[in-house]
Amino acid sequence: MKPIHNLWQERLRFDMRAALVIIALIGLLPAVVYGPYALGIILVSVYFAILALGWNLLAGYTGQFSLAPAAFAMIGAYTTALLDHYWQVPLALGIPAAIVVTALFGLMLGKLVLNLSGPYLSLTTLAFAEIARVVIGNSHEFTRGDQGMHVATLTDNRLAYYYIFLFALVVVLACIYWLLKGKLGRFMMAVRDDPVGAESRGINVVRIKMIAFCISCSICGLAGSLYGTFSQLVSPELGLLQQTGLILSMVVIGGMGSLSGAILGGVLIYLGSEWLRGFGDIQMIVFALLVIVFARYIPGGLWGMVAARLQGRRS
Amino acid sequence: MSLLTIEGLFAHFGGVAAVDNVSFDLRQGEILGLIGPNGSGKTTVLNLLSGFLTPDAGQVRMRDENITGMSADRLAQRGVLRMFQMTRVFTRMSAFDNLLTAGMARGLSESESTRRAHALIEELTLEPVQYLNAGQLSGGQRKLLEFGMCFIEPPLIAMLDEPFAAVHPVMRDVMAKFIRARHAQGFTFLLVSHDMPIIVDLCQRAVCMNAGRVIAAGEIRSVLQNHDVIEAYLGDSETHSGQDHPPALEVH
Repeated sequence: MKPIHNLWQERLRFDMRAALVIIALIGLLPAVVYGPYALGIILVSVYFAILALGWNLLAGYTGQFSLAPAAFAMIGAYTTALLDHYWQVPLALGIPAAIVVTALFGLMLGKLVLNLSGPYLSLTTLAFAEIARVVIGNSHEFTRGDQGMHVATLTDNRLAYYYIFLFALVVVLACIYWLLKGKLGRFMMAVRDDPVGAESRGINVVRIKMIAFCISCSICGLAGSLYGTFSQLVSPELGLLQQTGLILSMVVIGGMGSLSGAILGGVLIYLGSEWLRGFGDIQMIVFALLVIVFARYIPGGLWGMVAARLQGRRS
Repeated sequence: MSLLTIEGLFAHFGGVAAVDNVSFDLRQGEILGLIGPNGSGKTTVLNLLSGFLTPDAGQVRMRDENITGMSADRLAQRGVLRMFQMTRVFTRMSAFDNLLTAGMARGLSESESTRRAHALIEELTLEPVQYLNAGQLSGGQRKLLEFGMCFIEPPLIAMLDEPFAAVHPVMRDVMAKFIRARHAQGFTFLLVSHDMPIIVDLCQRAVCMNAGRVIAAGEIRSVLQNHDVIEAYLGDSETHSGQDHPPALEVH
C-alpha cells in the first residue's frame, strides 16, 4: 500500500472532490426546476453557500467566531451600489471594489478585535454588525436609509445569473482550497486547535487570524455585492442578525471545518427555510434547535456523517 | 559559555510575587534542572523565558541580545522552544501533520519537514499512531509528539516543563534517551521536573526555587544536599535528624 505522507492534504483533496460533485449537482438543478421564482430560490441558496464558505474559513478552520458575516455582505453590496449610484462606476470595477473595501473594513476591525478571543471577539463583531446596519439605515441622505438603493444588474437573464453565482462559488472554493493546502491552511488549523501551542511553535497567531478574517470578510463582501446586482436593490436588511444566524446554522448543520459541509449546509438550509415559510415564521426556531442537536450530538455535521460512510466504504 | 543569562527577574500577580529577583544562567550544551516544590515559581519562570509572560522587572539575554518581553512566536523563530506541562498539540490534526506543521512554522519547506517528520516518528516510536488525530493519543504519546515538534528544527534552547509527569515508564525511557542523544549532540536544555532520579541522571547543574526565589544553584548533588533545599521540600530538617538525606532527595 502506498504510504500516506500527508493526511491533512488527503482529507482536503477528498473534501474538495466532494464539493465539486455537489456543485456539479447544483449546476444541474435548473434542468429540473421550473419558473423564475424557483430559479431565484436556488440562486439565493448559492449566495448563502458562498457566505457559508466565507464564514467557515474563519470559524471552521481558524476557530474565530465572528458574528458579522451578514454585515460584511451588506457592506459589500453597498460599496457596489454607492459606486454605481454616485459615480456610475461600472460593475466590472464595482464588484472587485466590494471585495477590497470589505477586506479593508475587516483589517480595521481585526486590528481592534483579533487580540481578543472567545466570547469577546463574537460580542465585538456583533456590536460592529449592528452599528454598521444602524448607520447605513439612518444615513438617509447618502444611502436612502431603509428604502434601499437601486443597483445596476449584470444581466436580466435569471439563468445566466444563476451560473454567474455558481462560477463565483467555484472561484471562492478554489481560492480557499489553494489557501488551505498550503502553509497558511496548516497554521490556521493550528491556531484553531491551540493558539498557545501555535505561538510556542513560532506561528504569529494574530497575523494568521487577521489574514483569515480579511479573506472571510472579502468573500462575504463579494457575495453581498453579487446579490445586490441580482436583486437590483440593496437595503440594511442584508445585514440583519437573522441572516448571520442563518449562515451559522448552515455551517454547523452542514459540517464545520469542511468545504463540502459549508456548501451542502448553505444550499439545504436555505431551501429548507423557503419550505418552512409555508408553516409561518418558524425557520429560525427550527434551525436553532437543529444547531443545538448537531453541536451536541453530530459535531461533524451532515457532511461528517456522509464522509464517514464514504471513507469507511473506501477503506 | 553562557547561552541564556537571567538577571533580577520579577513577576507579580496582584500582590503576590510569583518570581522574586531570580537570576541564573544557562550554559551552552548543558541540561540545567529547575527544581522546587509546587508553587515555587518554576513554570512562571519558564513562561517569562519563553515569551508567554512579560516580567515586571529584570532582564533576559540570549548571548548578547536582550530578549526580555519578546513574544513567544518570535522567540520560537530564534530557537527558544518550549514544551508544556499540559501538552499543547494540534488535536484535530494527525500526529504526522503536527510534526509537519511545526516544521513549516520554523521555516522548513514541506518536503524537508516531511523527511524530518518521518525520522522523528521512528525515533519516538510513534509509527503505530502517526495517522491518528493527536487528540486521540495517550498523554505519553502526546508528550513524545511535543518533543518531536520541538526538535523538528534543532532549537537553541529547549525548555521542558515536567516532561516525565504521568508518563508510562517505557515512554519515560524513550524521552530520557531522546534527551541524552540530543544532549550528546550539543543541545541545551532547561528541564523542570519533580522526578529527582531523572534530574540527577540527566542534569549537570540545578537551580532550586522556593516561594518565587532561587534558594540554591550549582552542581546537582550539592544543590540536592543543600539545607534550604531539603527544608523547602520536606519542611524543617530537624525533624529528619538521624538521616543523612531525606528519602525524596536521596541520590541513587
